[in-house]
Amino acid sequence: MRTQDVFGYSFSAIKLRKLRAGLTTLGVVIGIAAIVALLSITQGLQNTITIQLETGLATDTLIVSPGGGAFGGGQHGGDFGGGALGGAASGFRLLVNDTLTINGLSTDILTSIAVIQRSGYINSTEHERVTTIVGVDFAEYKNIYSTTFVSESGEIPDNPENNTIIIGKRVNERQNGTVLFTAGEDVQILWANATARPPQNESYATHVTAVLQEVGGFAFGGPSDSNIYIPISTAQEFFNTSECEIIIVKLANSDQATIDAVVKKIVDEFAGEVSAISSTAVLNILGSVFSIIELFLVGIAAISLLVAGIGIMNIMIVSLIERTREIGILKALGMKSRTVLAIFLGESVIIGVIGAVIGIALGWVLANIVATVLSSGAITVGTGGGAGASGGLLSITPVLTPLVFLGAFGFGVGVSVIFALYPAWRASKLKPVEALRYE
Amino acid sequence: MEIPKQIRNKIVAFMAPIVEAVNLKKTYMLGKIPVEALRGVNLKVESGDFLAVLGPSGSGKSTLLNLIGALDKPTAGTLLIDSFDVSTLKDNQLSDLRRRVGFVFQFFNLIPRFTAIDNVGLSLSIAGMGKAERKKRAKELLETVGLKDRMKHKPAELSGGQQQRVAIARALANNPRFLLMDEPTGNIDSKTAREIINLVKGLNEEKGVTIIMVTHDQHLAREAKRIVQIFDGVITSDIVNGEPT
Repeated sequence: MRTQDVFGYSFSAIKLRKLRAGLTTLGVVIGIAAIVALLSITQGLQNTITIQLETGLATDTLIVSPGGGAFGGGQHGGDFGGGALGGAASGFRLLVNDTLTINGLSTDILTSIAVIQRSGYINSTEHERVTTIVGVDFAEYKNIYSTTFVSESGEIPDNPENNTIIIGKRVNERQNGTVLFTAGEDVQILWANATARPPQNESYATHVTAVLQEVGGFAFGGPSDSNIYIPISTAQEFFNTSECEIIIVKLANSDQATIDAVVKKIVDEFAGEVSAISSTAVLNILGSVFSIIELFLVGIAAISLLVAGIGIMNIMIVSLIERTREIGILKALGMKSRTVLAIFLGESVIIGVIGAVIGIALGWVLANIVATVLSSGAITVGTGGGAGASGGLLSITPVLTPLVFLGAFGFGVGVSVIFALYPAWRASKLKPVEALRYE
Repeated sequence: MEIPKQIRNKIVAFMAPIVEAVNLKKTYMLGKIPVEALRGVNLKVESGDFLAVLGPSGSGKSTLLNLIGALDKPTAGTLLIDSFDVSTLKDNQLSDLRRRVGFVFQFFNLIPRFTAIDNVGLSLSIAGMGKAERKKRAKELLETVGLKDRMKHKPAELSGGQQQRVAIARALANNPRFLLMDEPTGNIDSKTAREIINLVKGLNEEKGVTIIMVTHDQHLAREAKRIVQIFDGVITSDIVNGEPT
């Protein structure tokens, strides 16, 4: 029997039971759609974050933070003894003037700057916003983050007055576009000092010197849309501290050997009490985190496809029993067992192909709907972290790679065929005499 | 003059009986009890024969029919169909052999979702014929059985007699060595049965189609040139044109 006739016969059998075949196909559609939607969204999300990180911070920087063995623990031989998280356990504190020590460690280090940050508020007579108050050296910060620490209005002074502040785009503007503060405006900033007895709000009057350009939703050490920036000296005074949260180190170049060497020197210098991490490492970690998330999500989606497969098997067995006599007729007419097998597998191939194609299309549509919902601001995703809290919108463009496309297609058809193997084999093994006698 | 071996073989095959059974036995298990359905059947069917196998139910005639139709294998004895020894054939080869047999069933056994022309075409498509050719051949066959104006009808839209005509056209599709009919009129009214039997007789007399018909109906059997009576798994009489052999 010719291949097209085998498929023609399979198709005529499917057409006979449209509803049943439709429901079976629906199982495949849902499974494939889930896989495609999840994969293309996570892929898109990963792209968005990676791009934002890559543009948000220079690859030739390291972030030094207290706490050995936390984020960058793998980089100094797994010394977990020095306090696992944020250095709190050991009592180690990173100081603002540790930058001087770091600067002298290697000729590959061009400069380093301390960053102090606290949660706080910014107030004008009409508006109040929650924000993160960050103290940095404006000139050096601008030097390191030359593409993102850029003003949209006003100017970033190299030698700022004590009461200068620079505010991030997202602090300044609501999502609906309402502008809250303008460059040149006098505002007040305050923070809740929990170390004072009793805890009290400390505040001082400032002058908005500049509003930053939009950076993007994520930052790691670098400028963030939801932060406000004050001079480092003011910060030390205002927060009454000589400690800093992180030190950003700018390197002469961004090759891995330089990064590794400098990381080792810094970690050794502070006896494993700090961790130093490069943006490359952050990207790598992020990449592996995404791989795990992706695997997990796809695993869940795959289970739904597995259920669809069992559905196919069930339907095929029912169909096989119903068509026992028909199979007997076909065999009496001289059809070979392998052709009977091919007819049954053909049915599952048709169901698999239709299911996979519709599933991929539906998954893609779903991914775009979800992405649109996320991007439109219906859901705001904020990320927080010691190295640079930020909150903002995710603009995700779902990505459907050829690999995902082909993989989903192959998986859909594959599952359909695999689960049809047993019923098809049973059909092919029916004895013509018995099959013909079947009522 | 030496006849080339290939041609000689063809002549031998042509002259050889279409069906030859020697001491044919078939035992099958009914639950745990062995049933001897055939207990040593000897039968030869020559090309052009119109043979009726007559016997009551349980006589073993259906078992014989299944064996001659290559649907089943004998337990013992020899069965040659078109010179092929059925016992030695593999599953695939049996399938091929079945294409040389034109099966006509009591209950027609048409595929309900196919039209008359597609039912006939199915047989041709199993034999590997292309679509256009199939259509042409199926049309011719349906014309032969007098169903020219019913080609696009599905079995449910046809009368019993018409369905059986479609089944006969289907059985003839691959130019079988013989038609094997199982109670061909058992499921249709007597008037239509008459038409069917005239069609079958016509095929035998005018086109030389060999026919083996299994029935328990004596009146129907009398239409055949040769009547073989089977009882309790053995052949009890063999009458050709009214003369015992």
